[in-house]
Order: sequence, then C-alpha cells, then structure tokens
Amino acid sequence: MKVWQFSEQAYHPAFDEPGSMRVTLPQRHCDPAEAGRLLNRYLDEYRLADELGFNIMVNEHHAAATCMSTSCMTTLAILARETSKAQLLALGIPLANRSNPLRVAEEIAMVDVLSGGRLEVGLVKGAGYEVFMSNRKPTNFVDRFWEAHDLVLAALSNEGENFSWEGEHFHYRVASLWPRPLQQPHPPIWMTASSAGSAAQHAQYGYTCATFLSGAVARSVFAGYRSAFREAHGQEAPDERLAYLAVISVADDRVTAFARAEKMKGYFATASRLEPQFRNAAGFLPVKDTVRMMRNGPSAMRPKMRDGNPLPADPSIEDYIQAGLMFVGTPDDVYAQLEQFHDEVGGFGNLLMMGQAGTLSHQETVENLTVFAREVMPRLAELSPTDPGRDIRFEAFA
Amino acid sequence: MNPEETFEDFLSSATSMEVAGVDTEVLIRGEGEPLLYLHGLSGLENSTALIDRLARNFKVYAPSVPGFGGTQLPAHFTGIDDAAIFCLDLLDALGIGRAVVAGFSFGGWLAAEMLVLDPQRASRLVLGAPLGLPTAHRREAHVTDIFMLSPAQLQEHMQYSAPPPPVDPATLSESQVERMVRNTAAASLYGWSPYVNNPKLPHRLHRVALPTLVLWGEDDRIAPLAYGQRFADALPNAELRPLAQCGHRIEIDQPSAAAQAIVNFACASAAIEEPAE
Repeated sequence: MKVWQFSEQAYHPAFDEPGSMRVTLPQRHCDPAEAGRLLNRYLDEYRLADELGFNIMVNEHHAAATCMSTSCMTTLAILARETSKAQLLALGIPLANRSNPLRVAEEIAMVDVLSGGRLEVGLVKGAGYEVFMSNRKPTNFVDRFWEAHDLVLAALSNEGENFSWEGEHFHYRVASLWPRPLQQPHPPIWMTASSAGSAAQHAQYGYTCATFLSGAVARSVFAGYRSAFREAHGQEAPDERLAYLAVISVADDRVTAFARAEKMKGYFATASRLEPQFRNAAGFLPVKDTVRMMRNGPSAMRPKMRDGNPLPADPSIEDYIQAGLMFVGTPDDVYAQLEQFHDEVGGFGNLLMMGQAGTLSHQETVENLTVFAREVMPRLAELSPTDPGRDIRFEAFA
Repeated sequence: MNPEETFEDFLSSATSMEVAGVDTEVLIRGEGEPLLYLHGLSGLENSTALIDRLARNFKVYAPSVPGFGGTQLPAHFTGIDDAAIFCLDLLDALGIGRAVVAGFSFGGWLAAEMLVLDPQRASRLVLGAPLGLPTAHRREAHVTDIFMLSPAQLQEHMQYSAPPPPVDPATLSESQVERMVRNTAAASLYGWSPYVNNPKLPHRLHRVALPTLVLWGEDDRIAPLAYGQRFADALPNAELRPLAQCGHRIEIDQPSAAAQAIVNFACASAAIEEPAE
C-alpha cells in the first residue's frame, strides 16, 4: 500500500466568515502575510511527509478559502526540490478549465525533470463551480477535456519531429516541449471517478483511478474499473491502479485522535459551503446526469453509512467512520478500520491520506503523520492483496 | 391557449420537422401573414399566452431553437451564429420568403443576428427586451448575470409578476425535467461567455434597417431600459416603447399589451411601406 499525504492548504482563518467559502467570498478576507505563513507551514508538512516515507499529493482550487493551492504544478515545482524520495502527485489538473493545454504539458515536463522523474499527473474534469473562475464554457466540457488530454499525452510522449495540432477546440502551429519529460512515454496518469461508468473509461486507458471520500460508492467504482480493465487488457487490474482518499486522525490515545478529528471535520463543513447555483454551472454536466440528479433530490448525493442510512446533516466523527470517510483512533483502531474498509471495497493499492484538514494545527499534523508513519504504515503491507476470485462483500454497506 | 390548456397540451400540437438535418420542434398556430416567433432564455415555456394572442392575427411559427425544448442540438453548434443560420434554414424549409419577426430576450438577439445575415427575410421586426449588445464594459455590468443567481433569485429578477412557486423536480416527469435542463444548458451554450452578447453586433446592426419596434419592460431587472435605449439607437429605424408593470419576461408580464403593440406596429408599418398598392 502506497500512502500519500494530502492537505487542501486551507486559509482557515476565513472559516468564520459567513456564507460561501468559494466563488463569492471577497478576497479582502485574506491577509496575505497569514496566507504566506500558512502555505510555508503546509510545505513544511509535505517535507516532513517525504522524510517519513509518505508520497505526496496536491490539488488546486480557485477563489476558495478552503484551498490556497491555485496551481498543482507551482506547488509541486517547490516540492520537487524540497523532497527527495516521495512520488509527487498532482490530483489534479482541471484540464478543460485551462485555455492552453500545451502550457499544461510544459509544466508537467518541467516538474518531471526537476524532480528526477517523480511526478504523477492527475488530469481531472474538476468541480462544476470552477468554470465560474476559469470562465471556460460549461457546455462541451467533456469533449474539450478529452481533446486536451489527447494533445497533452501526444506532446509528452513525442520522440519524433515537432508537430502541429488542428483540433476542434485547440490549434497549435508548433508543439515542442523544452524540456520534455524524463519519464517516457509520460509520467503515470491518474483520473478520478465517482461511478463505475467513469472508472471503466479510465481502466481502458490503464490509468490509476482514484475516488475521493465516496465511502460505499468506492466499491462500485473499483468493481467497474476491475471489470473494464479485465476486458480491455485481458488481465486483472493491479491494486496499485486504485486509490481511495479519506481523512485520517491517529494518535496514541483515542481521546486525542477524536479531538483532532473534530478539527479536521471542519474540512467537510467548509468545503460544502457554496450557493446552489454554483454547484453545477448551467450545461456543465451532461443533460442526462443533471436530470438524474434533479429527480433523485439532494439526499441521494450523500454518502451512505454501513447501516444504509445517508450521512446525517451534521455528522459525528463516528458517523464519518461508519461512512468510510474518516479513519480515527489509536493505531490499532485506524488499522482495523482501514482493514475492514479495504476488504469491503475489494482492495486498493493507494491510500490518499488527508493528514491535515480543517483547522488541524502544525504540531498536531506533525504528530498525526509521525504516528501514522511509525505505527500504521508498516502494517498496511499486511493487507492481503486482492484475490481476484473471491467475492467482494457487497453487503457490507447497505 | 384556453385557460384549461396546460403547456404539455400546447406542446402536443407542435410539429416535428427536419431543418438542414436538425430535428426541430415548431409550434404553428393561427392563420394570416407569417410571423416567426423566437423565444427567450427559458425556451417556449413562457410564451404560450403571447403566441396564442398573436395567432389571432398571424400564422405564428414558433420553433424551439437548437438545444432548447424538443429541438436537437447538433454537435458543432457553439454559438449564436449557428442558431442564426438555423433560423434562415428554417424559413427556407417552411417556404417563407419574408415574415414578421418577433424575438424576445435571447430570441431578440437571435432575430438581430439572423437579419444581420439576411435583412430581406423580415417585413417588420419586433424586439422584446433583446440581449446581444455588449452586456458590460470592463467592471461596469449593464445586464444581470443570470448564471450567478440562485433559482429563486432568477425567478424574482426575470419577471414583474409574482414568481411562480418553486417546483420540486421530483414531482415532474423525466421528459419535463429534461426539457428544463436542456433549456438551461442551451442558454449557457449561447450565452455563457461573452455573456449573452456578440461584441461585433453593434458594428453590424446598421444592416437591420427595416422598421423596428423595441419593447421594453420599465421594471426589467435583467437588462434595464437604458440598455434598451442603446439597442434602439443602434438600429437605423427603431422606436423604443416602454411597457409599464413589466419585467424582462414581457411574454409573461404583458402578453396582451405586447401582442397588441405587435399587431398595431405590423399593420401600421405595412401601410407606410406599401402606400401605393
């Protein structure tokens, strides 16, 4: 099991402001000196994660107090020199929000050579609210994503002559990467999924498929990936192609772990603070998906707990544990929770660990990462690799 | 439309036809001179009363623009020029050389774009709160950004009359919800950015020189009367007529007054246009 440290690098002093944490939150609420202190602090934690044997994941959002990393590649360009062992994962680059995908390929290649080939690249569609900042058209978003994907991959892997590109959405006279990436044909590619259907598409490409905070849904995402991978490649999908992201708080005693988890819970409360019209910009999702969402109502979107009930409106730490969104407690507790979840969803090879979230302080994050690395990480190797023949315990989540 | 007729009943009388390869939903009502009716940002949904009144004097042709309602959206459609060419194709397919053209909001923009391409296709033009001219100058916005409004705010902004009670999509049929979602997505396709306008339109409107009536709600909270005045000024031969107790959805707030204005204008300007006959 590879474990990846992840923080959204929030500007948490703004969490007390009323209303939305994104899109409409005025930037005057950001004290840039405090932002600088916090960003440096999060980078220190990533450096520690590298020393402790974690890999590193960063993301990006825009106009959000919940995430100050506005560019995966800028953050990773720093970490390429600040770290020496960790794989560096951008998860991800919201490709269809970028007006110039060739610039994305250039950034990927530059960080790959800087890091000595430790870069892994998530190409993602991104959340529906991001188009309000990029102002790229919400309609035809998926088409644009795949054309940009094809172009980025063609540029990264090109060992022949420079080429030109006349697509439906993008047009270039000269595609030429200086530097070109160290990893050939290209760094490992990741994508994210929250349904079996989208996972199946990623499986056809053989890309690593991550699902975020999806609890029971991870089971169907992974099953969709495995079956499509088998069909496309004639063999079982290796566990390292599957990844799950959760919030983890571990401490030597349960009281401390739960107290820290309460602070990390602030991530859920703030990430979801957004006016309804920004959640799914007009025309962003395919019509049939929006129709299904509207007819099912908002509660259908909530993760389910093991008893089959949707996560309540103001969930407790215990509720989050039962939904598979948080793993909290002593090293033994956390290992047991991870083992159970790993088994329920049919196994996965990457644990994307939100080791810092919400208002968790620097010292608490250091302790969280240190205890996890010392007490839990070595034991994760014991998790049995997936036996392709066995039945996945689909009944574990109702 | 009689008072008992629902929108579904109204739609059930729509014709399905192919227009340059596009499966098109067109509502055809009434007898008389042809009138091409182009709907606003929410599709044909709000236009039933106005179309019904216009159908007493005209043969009304009211298509759903590609992407809206029951009309197919061809994969290559990316902007208003595609829709404008589609409208010319529609007139060809219907065998109509010239029509009275009446467009509201988005449909007013579309009517202007179509007539920039071929000014001969309209005998008279009525624009109801048309969009399409630049909607902002740098930091100064002239037109409310509907994509930034919540569903409740949007309803409040769109019309002078009390907004309809919120509808729970769970109580609607799949096809009803699909229509709503397609209408919203189409408004986004044509109007997301630049926001419901074509920066080149002001430089092209000189081509639309026919007699034009521009109707505008005095209480329009999407595009204010001053924007309407600019629109009328940009047209060589247009008159701006404010409507009292009327918001952006003229077709909802003042269908009778709008219909009467269209009938009077079409007949009067016809008399002026063809005096010797």
